[in-house]
Amino acid sequence: MRRYVLRRLAVGVLQALGITIAVFFVIRALPADPVSRIVGMNPTEDSIRQARHALGLDMSLFQQLLTFLGFHGNGVFTGSLGTSWVSGSTVLSEIAITLPTTIQLIITSFIVALLVAIPIGMATARRPGGKLDKGVFGYGLFAGAQPEFWWGLIFIFVFYFKMGIAPAPLGMLDPMLTAPDAVTNFVLIDSLIAGDFTAFKSALGHLVLPVLTLSFLLVGPLLKMTQQSMSRVLSSEFILYQQASGLEKKSIGRSTLRSALAPIITLTGILFGFMLSGAVLVESVFSLNGLGQYAVAAVLNLDFPAVQGVILVISVISLFVYLGLDLLLAKIDPRILVK
Amino acid sequence: MTPSEALLSTRGLTVKYPYGDVQNVVIDELDLDLYPGQIVGLLGESGSGKSSLALALMGLARHPGVVSGEVNFRGKNLLKMDDEELRQIRGNSIGLITQKPRQALDPLVNVGKQISRVYRAHSHASKADAQVRAIELLRSVGINDAERRVNAFPHELSGGMAQRALISMALSVEPDLLIADEPTSGLDVTIQAQFLDRMWERARDANIAVLIVTQDLGIVANYCDRIVIMEDGKIIEDRITTEFFADPHTAYGKKLILASGAGTKSSNADVAITTTPEILRVTDLRKTFEVEGGKRLQAVSKASFQIHKGRSLGLVGESGSGKTTVGRLILRLADPDSGEVWFKGERIDSISPKEFRKYRSKIQAVFQDPFDSLNPRWPIERVIREPLDLHTEMSKAEKGARVRELVSLVGLTDDILPLRPGSLSAGQQQRVSLARALATEPEFLILDEPTSALPPAARADMILLLKSLQERLDLCFIFISHDLSTVRELCHDIAVMYLSEIVEMGTSEQVFSAPSHPYTRALLDSVLFHDPSSRRVDRTVKAELEGEIPSPVDLPAGCYLAARCPMAEQRCRDDHQALIEIGPSRSVRCWKSVEASK
Ligand SMILES: Nc1ncnc2c1ncn2[C@@H]1O[C@H](COP(=O)(O)OP(=O)(O)OP(=O)(O)O)[C@@H](O)[C@H]1O
Ligand code: SF4
Ligand SMILES: [Mg+2]
Repeated sequence: MRRYVLRRLAVGVLQALGITIAVFFVIRALPADPVSRIVGMNPTEDSIRQARHALGLDMSLFQQLLTFLGFHGNGVFTGSLGTSWVSGSTVLSEIAITLPTTIQLIITSFIVALLVAIPIGMATARRPGGKLDKGVFGYGLFAGAQPEFWWGLIFIFVFYFKMGIAPAPLGMLDPMLTAPDAVTNFVLIDSLIAGDFTAFKSALGHLVLPVLTLSFLLVGPLLKMTQQSMSRVLSSEFILYQQASGLEKKSIGRSTLRSALAPIITLTGILFGFMLSGAVLVESVFSLNGLGQYAVAAVLNLDFPAVQGVILVISVISLFVYLGLDLLLAKIDPRILVK
Repeated sequence: MTPSEALLSTRGLTVKYPYGDVQNVVIDELDLDLYPGQIVGLLGESGSGKSSLALALMGLARHPGVVSGEVNFRGKNLLKMDDEELRQIRGNSIGLITQKPRQALDPLVNVGKQISRVYRAHSHASKADAQVRAIELLRSVGINDAERRVNAFPHELSGGMAQRALISMALSVEPDLLIADEPTSGLDVTIQAQFLDRMWERARDANIAVLIVTQDLGIVANYCDRIVIMEDGKIIEDRITTEFFADPHTAYGKKLILASGAGTKSSNADVAITTTPEILRVTDLRKTFEVEGGKRLQAVSKASFQIHKGRSLGLVGESGSGKTTVGRLILRLADPDSGEVWFKGERIDSISPKEFRKYRSKIQAVFQDPFDSLNPRWPIERVIREPLDLHTEMSKAEKGARVRELVSLVGLTDDILPLRPGSLSAGQQQRVSLARALATEPEFLILDEPTSALPPAARADMILLLKSLQERLDLCFIFISHDLSTVRELCHDIAVMYLSEIVEMGTSEQVFSAPSHPYTRALLDSVLFHDPSSRRVDRTVKAELEGEIPSPVDLPAGCYLAARCPMAEQRCRDDHQALIEIGPSRSVRCWKSVEASK
């Protein structure tokens, strides 16, 4: 088991590094010149040369890679992701601010989505063709037909603009409040640490619409998977046999759920990895300064260190998420060997 | 017996499966009465609704089916009971053994927990007591090492063991009604016999009503008092067993009896020594497979036999005994570790696959699962024509004529030619496989369980067909099967295999009338002949084996049967046995049998 975890980690780290290095070369192969963005209009030969030198772009590609990895001073191997060419602060510190916002958004959305999808999926699997099932079908047609930012805008229109029950879609906190001391950069947690319940409530309030938007979309695939998986288990031989053996309903229900769980967990993992950068549209609709936003800005600005840093961080997080889920699956299903 | 004495009686029992907006009716207004102490055999083609009926008797249907009508158990309608009352009856007063033992167990929970859950659902036992009980139960059905096995997960058990665990669960609560859905379909014949004997005794002693769903007329003839035949969700024949065998009323029943009637006599019992030329000779064939943990599994060892023109060899033995592997070695689908295969005086085991291709048209095969071996996208015409394209120089017209000739040879009509395999029944598919195998007029055929996957009526038809082809075409073949009555009908010679070795060989007549090896005797004794006047349960002395078949990975040093053989002595455990000739074309691998024959 420990050997399995270590091996998975080692392989995963190599993969993450491989992806990052690939990205390193791909962005440098793009037909766009980051220097021209930095030196402004009508630059002199000299200022261009200077800028190139400052960014390290005058070195050979290979030397640039070695620098990035940390063979010449600080780099990936020494725990540094370099300095942003746009802001001048370290990439790591910027990710440390934007990542928690995204993670907080995604995790809450997943919790909400799973809490909705699993019970409804179970109920509709039990009664296919029932009222609830028809409702779910309608939702599937409806929700899938529009992109996520569109739903975000509709929710803002309805709940903020028309009904006025949601806060303005501007960031994580009421602009009038002072943010709690940044400890973890998770606003919810920091406000609790600071004992600032007004801030906590405001942060929760500001999460409602983005979470609603994201989970509104996440529920679709999760619900579908729950339904499929549940009806597969429900029509399985062993559930039938448990009924025939006169086991109690509760006990049969537990067996069913447990057996139906594996594909749902796998899907959750895949969606999670996807959402780390895929939540960008929702982040921008609600002006949340998250990782997705940061990544898009980095690409648009040709801020190479930031792009590389984001990719590496996302790969490493996905790695841990997948590993955690695989261990969970192995715990549920004895047929999965973890050696 | 009158309906008022019935333990369970259904009136207007109906099971429907919603299929979108359509209702698929699988049990149609069915009335059935079951009485205490009576064993009822339920027969019917696959899809006729047998399993649905078995479940509906407990008020259950496969998800998302719906049961309606009346199921009166001791006069009370199960379908109107509340959940708790129903729950107390299921698994307690009515026990169920399902067709697929391994699938009936929750793959995520260990066996002990599952047994104790059922036990605790019907008693107030504590968890610890239930665990002890689970161990007892496993031990009582002959699972050795029960303390360890109780922690095993279903995928770690063999099908046979899972079946035993289920049987132990069903019988442990002393039900009044036992419903068994093909309880022995996955079991080997000697183990099937053990189980059925035990069930029969229990039903007699405790006055249990039993409904046993089966495809095997032998089980009905040997163990059932009454036979019920279903077709399309309805009962078409419901008779006392002996009366049914004497005079079946329905066409379906007549067909079953007709096909099995021959089962007691063999027309191939003649001539032991043959003068026709030798077609195939196999010497000292050996094949092992590497298995997990670097060990080797011995699939076939020291297999030697020859087959002469116009004769057929039956290869019998329980599952895993190596029958299929022998066939695959001859067909060059696997390479032997050692040994030789000679076809008409030419050695074919060591030639290259390319060289072997020219023998392909001479050596053909038919396998167990007809659908697997037919290309689903090809029309039947092309399926049968393929070997002609590959191996002959015929013109288009000649091929067309030959295909039609073959189709009629196997009892099919031309109108199936444009169809695809998927739209044929299993029986028709198997006939197509046979037609394809016969296309190039092979001199030698390997038939590997060609009848086993077929429903009873189709199986009977197939046997009749093979028999007539054998006479008309003078076929020479190996027939692999675990079904001894079929082998007896079709084969001149028999080789009995046990755990990779041939333990006895002789003509059908010799082996069936005077089996010599203890394993052959037990095997023959477990054959359930389709004749209610000579039932196994009426026989006083039975040749029986104990316990389970050992693993082919860790084979014992001495005789492979020693652990199960009732005659075993120390010498058996010490010395490996050799196949010794005890008469013309007759040999046996057991020193005691050899001595007894002198
Ligand atoms: N490719 C393989 N790899 C590993 N083991 C194998 C392989 N093929 C067969 N075996 C093993 O070899 C033994 C003989 O198998 P074989 O299929 O010949 O038996 P059989 O008598 O035809 O059984 P059945 O009646 O179930 O078809 C079995 O223990 C089987 O598990
Ligand atoms: S050699 Fe011994 S153990 Fe083996 S079959 Fe003969 S009597 Fe039985
Ligand atoms: Mg086989």
